[in-house]
Amino acid sequence: MTRLILAALAALSFLASPVASQDAPDAPLQTILQTHHDLVESASRRTVQTVLDDLIASGLPEVPAFLERWQARELYMRQSDGRFVYVQDEDADPLVLIDIDSGAEIGTAGSREVDQLRANRGVQTVIGAALVQFQLLSPDIATRATALEAIDRAPEPDQMPLIATMLEAETDPDLRADAESLLLRMTIAFGEDEAERVAAIESLAGRIDVQTRAALNPLLATRTGVASQLPEDANIAAVLEPGSDALPRLEAYDILVEEGLAPAFVSADDRRETLIANIEDGQIVGIQVHSLDNEEARIAAYAALVEAGLAPVSPTDEEVDAALAAHVFYEEYREASAAVTSAAEETVSAINTRVSILEMVDLSLDGISLASIYFLAAIGLAITFGVMGVINMAHGEFIMMGAYTGYVVQTIVPDYTVSIVIALPLAFAITFGAGVAMERTVIRWLYSRPLETLLATFGISIALQQITRQIFGAQARPFTAPDWLAGSLSFNDVVAISYIRIAIFVLGVLFFCLLWLILNKTRLGLEVRAVTQNPSMASSMGINPDKINMLTFGLGSGIAGIAGVAIGLFAQVTPELGANYIVQSFMTVVVGGVGNIFGTLAGATMIGFFQKGVEWLNPSNTLAAQTYMILFVILFIQFRPKGIVALKGRAAEM
Amino acid sequence: MGNLIKTNRSVPIVLALLAGFALLVTVLSEAYGSGGLSVSLTKTLGMTVCLCIIALSMDMVWGYSGILSLGHFAFFALGGYMIGMWLMYARTEDVIAASLAQGQLPATPAELNDAIAVQIFGVVGGDSFPWMWAFSHSLVAQLALVVLVPGILAFVFGWLAFRSRVTGVYLSILTQAMTLALSLYLFQNDTGLRGNNGLSGLQNIPGAEAIPQSQISIWFLWASIAALALAYVFAAWVMSGKFGNVIRGIRDDEARVRFLGYSVEGYKLFVFVVSAIMAGVAGALYYPQAGIINPDELAPIASIYLAVWVAIGGRGRLYGAVIGAAVVSLLSTWFTGGRAPDINLGFYTIQWVDWWTVLLGLGFVLVTLFAPKGLGGLVDLMTRKGEAK
Repeated sequence: MTRLILAALAALSFLASPVASQDAPDAPLQTILQTHHDLVESASRRTVQTVLDDLIASGLPEVPAFLERWQARELYMRQSDGRFVYVQDEDADPLVLIDIDSGAEIGTAGSREVDQLRANRGVQTVIGAALVQFQLLSPDIATRATALEAIDRAPEPDQMPLIATMLEAETDPDLRADAESLLLRMTIAFGEDEAERVAAIESLAGRIDVQTRAALNPLLATRTGVASQLPEDANIAAVLEPGSDALPRLEAYDILVEEGLAPAFVSADDRRETLIANIEDGQIVGIQVHSLDNEEARIAAYAALVEAGLAPVSPTDEEVDAALAAHVFYEEYREASAAVTSAAEETVSAINTRVSILEMVDLSLDGISLASIYFLAAIGLAITFGVMGVINMAHGEFIMMGAYTGYVVQTIVPDYTVSIVIALPLAFAITFGAGVAMERTVIRWLYSRPLETLLATFGISIALQQITRQIFGAQARPFTAPDWLAGSLSFNDVVAISYIRIAIFVLGVLFFCLLWLILNKTRLGLEVRAVTQNPSMASSMGINPDKINMLTFGLGSGIAGIAGVAIGLFAQVTPELGANYIVQSFMTVVVGGVGNIFGTLAGATMIGFFQKGVEWLNPSNTLAAQTYMILFVILFIQFRPKGIVALKGRAAEM
Repeated sequence: MGNLIKTNRSVPIVLALLAGFALLVTVLSEAYGSGGLSVSLTKTLGMTVCLCIIALSMDMVWGYSGILSLGHFAFFALGGYMIGMWLMYARTEDVIAASLAQGQLPATPAELNDAIAVQIFGVVGGDSFPWMWAFSHSLVAQLALVVLVPGILAFVFGWLAFRSRVTGVYLSILTQAMTLALSLYLFQNDTGLRGNNGLSGLQNIPGAEAIPQSQISIWFLWASIAALALAYVFAAWVMSGKFGNVIRGIRDDEARVRFLGYSVEGYKLFVFVVSAIMAGVAGALYYPQAGIINPDELAPIASIYLAVWVAIGGRGRLYGAVIGAAVVSLLSTWFTGGRAPDINLGFYTIQWVDWWTVLLGLGFVLVTLFAPKGLGGLVDLMTRKGEAK
């Protein structure tokens, strides 16, 4: 009825609008609008499409700009003659009116003489959808990309020809690839022709991006169905056996109950509710309530209720089994076409295989980067503990000092790159100094008592931690990586590694080479090895063991400082930073084999990969991964007490 | 016994001192005496006595056998967890049974069990009892587990480690790894012991709701003192005589003892397991007084502190361990409790709550460097004669 009235009104207003016919030759846009005058004036979500269809069909060049202004509520109507206009400045008084076809000024009007056409949200959306086709062909690449993204968010079948049209003219390769991919996915989702869809699905094989997977997965969505016979026409994914893992017995029965194919099963909870509902004066049909403190008594009481006709009969186990046996349960694809689902199934499994291979690659990269972190944290220990045999529990605090050095430098030098370049040598110098001081004052008195070194250095460790807490506070301090270390290098949607991890890996490799050179190719390295193997012999050869010990310990500590700068870039810089790494560092050195840096490398690699491997099996739980890693280390040491790289001959006697 | 007193003259002195201490706290207690000793101080003293027991067990493995275990708190906390499971279960059962009794139908055993499980494990998203709670309803079973769980863990770990002849620093690092692994494991919410929430409300003894904490705390203090006395006599007995000699021999030169035909691994394993059990019992007495246990208690640092107490007290002598644990932990409580007077230097005020750790750390260094015999060395100076050779 309303529609009839509207139509009548529209007809009346058409008759009453002389402007329409008058402006027809030079104002085609106005003409079209006046044809639908009321639909434009009081546009609604349901009716506005008619106007839009006519506008688009007209192919007028002004249409996109007009739609944009309409959507932005910049369209006005002159009350005197019903003519649609723009205004020059909506705050001006009187308003300067602009013709929507020519853009020429056509006089002024007071703000009470025009109506602003406020398109509501629904109308705006409909107009926006119509605008998309113009935006797809816009000369501005950003507009085209935005329009494409808008379609991707909420694709509609009728947008497919629009994208096809766009593709004919598209020159930008990236955008073209995006559009092609989107069209392919839309073909899969909305395509009419089965063969076309199957071809589209098959062409996606080997693509691992999230969008492709998101496009294929809905095709494989299933729902559980039940019937007395397996339906012929349904696209069956699998037949389910009640009582299996996929469909537990009671769950299967619940489906039957839901479908109205079997009487409801009375669970223990239902029974309880029914019993409570039937309590009268502390009794249930003559049975004392207080006697119902076990399941058997409750079942008996319920049976009494059933007999009295106060409760529904619960099917027995045999009846449940019979009902289940009389029906067949199946998983049915929501997608009707079997050809499409089987093609999708194949493609998805091919993609999954590829993804899992790539995940292994990604995991290996993670493993390498975790190994580099362990290596960096442990490499200083490999010298002080591995070569000299000193258990330095304050090693972690040297790492922490390195990280805080980075933080302090960054507060003074604001440029992140420069500050790191300064912080690296400075951290080495500071922790080298701290290491030498500690060696001179404490450790050199304890060379013959290694276990007591542990206690003394532990004392230093907790004192250093507390002093740091006093100076810098207990909360984490910001130590930011420069921009060129932010972000990550991603090879595809699955394999990616952050630049900071690459940097740590490179730093680890550098340290390794440097230390190997120092220990094996320099005079200092020779003397270090001599002193650690036989101090008295070395000193009779003219080597000063005191000096060498001091330098070696300083070197190990200094390296811990540099490692601290690197670790501080990705970890929280807190007083506990070093303590978090100390146990793992010792394990790395012990697993690898004491006495040479190859061992530490091997230990870090093994621990890093093992931990990542466990995390892969149970991704949500890094605590578990660490637990198993430590258990693994404990067991490993039982079977190879000297570590992976065990020294042989005289060097092993130390 | 007479022989024992002859070989270890500290035993009667320590027993007498403990008896005197027990008498003193009773006279001063709120429940039975003048009331000079507050409930919280009674608990602190009781917990300190438990720490003395674990220090004693640490001294057995480190001071006497030369095995520096940096994971002894794992055994201590496991003992606490075992008794905590019963305390928590039984107490929750009382509460839940009382609340279910308000319901219209009397609860079935299954309903009661489910309600208890939800009450205990709701905080970690669980609604049923994990397997390790199978015996939690039985005090006797959990008391047995207090002994068994640390004992078996120590046996398995020690058997693996000693058999492979992992010694010295390596063993220390492995024990440290063990306690770290256990602590990380318990930190997970789905491993059955309430993750980082731990077990709480352990100070409420089931069936003793009517008894005030002032009485319960003094009972626990008595029990702790009695346990320390027993542990002391037992340790002194084990370490006297031939067994003690072999153990000390292993500490001083393991290879030589092995060449003499002793099963070094067996001796070490025995001491390690016994010491772990002592630690477990100490933990079972400690945590009902502390009221809460969580995986933080197993963190490696706790066990390092334990080694430090023994070192400060003087290892290789049982009373040294007791003195060390008592002195350092009571001093820690005093300083960190805010009771120590701050020192105003004019330009800076030293607040002991913060600076105590620094003082403690430097204290370790000084003791290690200048007093390798620890506080027990002072006794030597007085008697001019060493106890342990």
